[in-house]
Amino acid sequence: MAKIRASKPGLRLRLYIAGNAPNSLRAITNLKAICDEHFATECVLEIVDLLVHPARALADGIIVTPTLLKLSPLPVQRVIGTLSDTNQVCLALASR
Amino acid sequence: MTGTKARPKQDLAQRLAEAEATIEALLSGQIDAVVDSKTQSPVLLFKAQDALRESEERYRRIVETANEGIWTIDTEEKITFVNPRLAEMLGYLPDKMLGRSFLEFIPEASRVPAVKQVERSRDGNSEEIEVKLARNNGAELWVLLKTSPIRDTDGAYIGTLSMMTDRTRHRQDEEALRKSEEQQKKMQSQLMVSDRMASVGTLAAGVAHEINNPLAAVIANLDYITESLRLMISGDSAGVSPTRSNAWLLEEIKTPLDDAREAAQRVRFIVRDLKIFSRSTDDEERGAVNVDAIMESSLRMAWNEIRHRATLVKLYGRVPAVDANEARLGQVFLNLVVNAAQALPAGQAERNEIRVTTRLEGERVVIEVSDTGPGIPPHIIGRIFDAFFTTKAVGVGTGLGLAICQRIVTDMSGTLTVESEVGKGTTFRVSLPLARKKKSDVAPPVELVPAAGRRGRILVVDDEELVVRSVKRILSKEHDVVATVSATEALALCAGGEQFDLILCDLMMPEMTGMDLHRELSLVAPEQADRMIFVTGGAFTEKAWRFLSETPKEHLEKPFASANLRAIVQRYLR
Repeated sequence: MAKIRASKPGLRLRLYIAGNAPNSLRAITNLKAICDEHFATECVLEIVDLLVHPARALADGIIVTPTLLKLSPLPVQRVIGTLSDTNQVCLALASR
Repeated sequence: MTGTKARPKQDLAQRLAEAEATIEALLSGQIDAVVDSKTQSPVLLFKAQDALRESEERYRRIVETANEGIWTIDTEEKITFVNPRLAEMLGYLPDKMLGRSFLEFIPEASRVPAVKQVERSRDGNSEEIEVKLARNNGAELWVLLKTSPIRDTDGAYIGTLSMMTDRTRHRQDEEALRKSEEQQKKMQSQLMVSDRMASVGTLAAGVAHEINNPLAAVIANLDYITESLRLMISGDSAGVSPTRSNAWLLEEIKTPLDDAREAAQRVRFIVRDLKIFSRSTDDEERGAVNVDAIMESSLRMAWNEIRHRATLVKLYGRVPAVDANEARLGQVFLNLVVNAAQALPAGQAERNEIRVTTRLEGERVVIEVSDTGPGIPPHIIGRIFDAFFTTKAVGVGTGLGLAICQRIVTDMSGTLTVESEVGKGTTFRVSLPLARKKKSDVAPPVELVPAAGRRGRILVVDDEELVVRSVKRILSKEHDVVATVSATEALALCAGGEQFDLILCDLMMPEMTGMDLHRELSLVAPEQADRMIFVTGGAFTEKAWRFLSETPKEHLEKPFASANLRAIVQRYLR
């Protein structure tokens, strides 16, 4: 589990992945690139491995991985898949 | 997607959008794991997918690279899949075969069995059959066809998978194999002959030596007798009176005459031995054979090889006859004896021994040839019966001897085995089955008919003048003998009306053979032809053999004793 803290927290993200599965690795890479590009100063990212913390996934209502949760600002948003569609991800993260 | 505690209130539209996104992600293969809602535990998708992909990949590779041609057909007998190998076998591009009936690729004659097999396989019977396929270029291809049904997940029959192994090459290989085996067999029999000739050749020098010795004795004794006669006639014999000279002469020439005769007899035996080994190759007949006698002949043939190397010990068990071919068995014995001799160094005859044993063991005769040579090392002993394996120097051994010996012995339902100890020596053991019937192996006894009888008129024909003269000499006292060295002259005599009671005729003569003369006489003087008795030196052609076996009268073998000659002549004059 890795955490990336931005200097001024505003955007809180949680990415559910499944170990080293290829789509999960792709999702991490894509998400980091998007954060660096568009939300560098205000992003806190938490990556949770479904295989290590299945209970947390259940608590968050996760049914597939990779799934990205935007926890704050509300409303909570979910993006499912490898996060390769940058526009769609940005749209979800920017929603208030 | 059901609501959970973590997701208190949510807009229905949003949840629907999420569900759609999930499905879309699933379909586009972006999902690694799902949470099983029943067990509430994660199920890794990517692993299952990878495994599936891997196994698909593996099967695809197998099918693509298989040496077998593979197609699948649907229930309408249309081809739904072709692997590259099958397309190549038939000379099509795979795409060009898809959608066509598989029967298009099977020639008329093979269609019924092919269709039947598809039907059988549907019923669970997966037998292999050989059928022909039709190639694009019109040629036909033999394949071994295996068929299995394809069923959907509910077990319903949806088509057939067929695997085809190209048998054309296999069939051609079989054909080639059969041909090469034939060739090999032919070559083997040629090699057997050449080896026999080689073993005779090896011994030619020795045999020449064996013949020259007694021949020298014959010549020396005859010279001595001639000299004695000359002395007597010239009256130079140291003042011997004529009355005493007869007794003196008899005394003087009796011993040399006996010696000359004995020496000549030895030559006769050696030539008889040689005949055993030089029989025609077609003469493969088997019969009751006296093992001790054949061994004795072989030892005489090999004596020149043995004498300088070993003392010879013979332990004959006076065994019953075996079922064998005389010439072949002689070849085997000769080979074993010469091998034994060649295992020993020359010049130390008193230190080494060659022991020849024959004995009865149950229903078999066992013949052993042992030497006290260096023995055969264990790493070689397994190969000594292999063709072309030899430890002898180039030119000494062909490497075929033992291989051929084993073949010969095996052909006679016998066994040839070897035992050897390094430093002690080697024993070869031949075991042969007993003969069922006893063949009279001994030459017919000489019939000693009293010389007295009818005086006949006899024609002697032989291209060898010495023979003609001696026959004339032997018979002249009792008969009127006309002699000639030419069959042509003999024919002229008979054609000119000369009558003979008997014609003694050599079989093999350079210009006109005895057979030719017989044929000509049958035309011009048939009653004379019937009176021919043939004399042979033993050098037979197959034609001569057949001729002799069809001739009713017995023939006379050279060399013959004078008593024998007179007896035969008397018998036919009666």
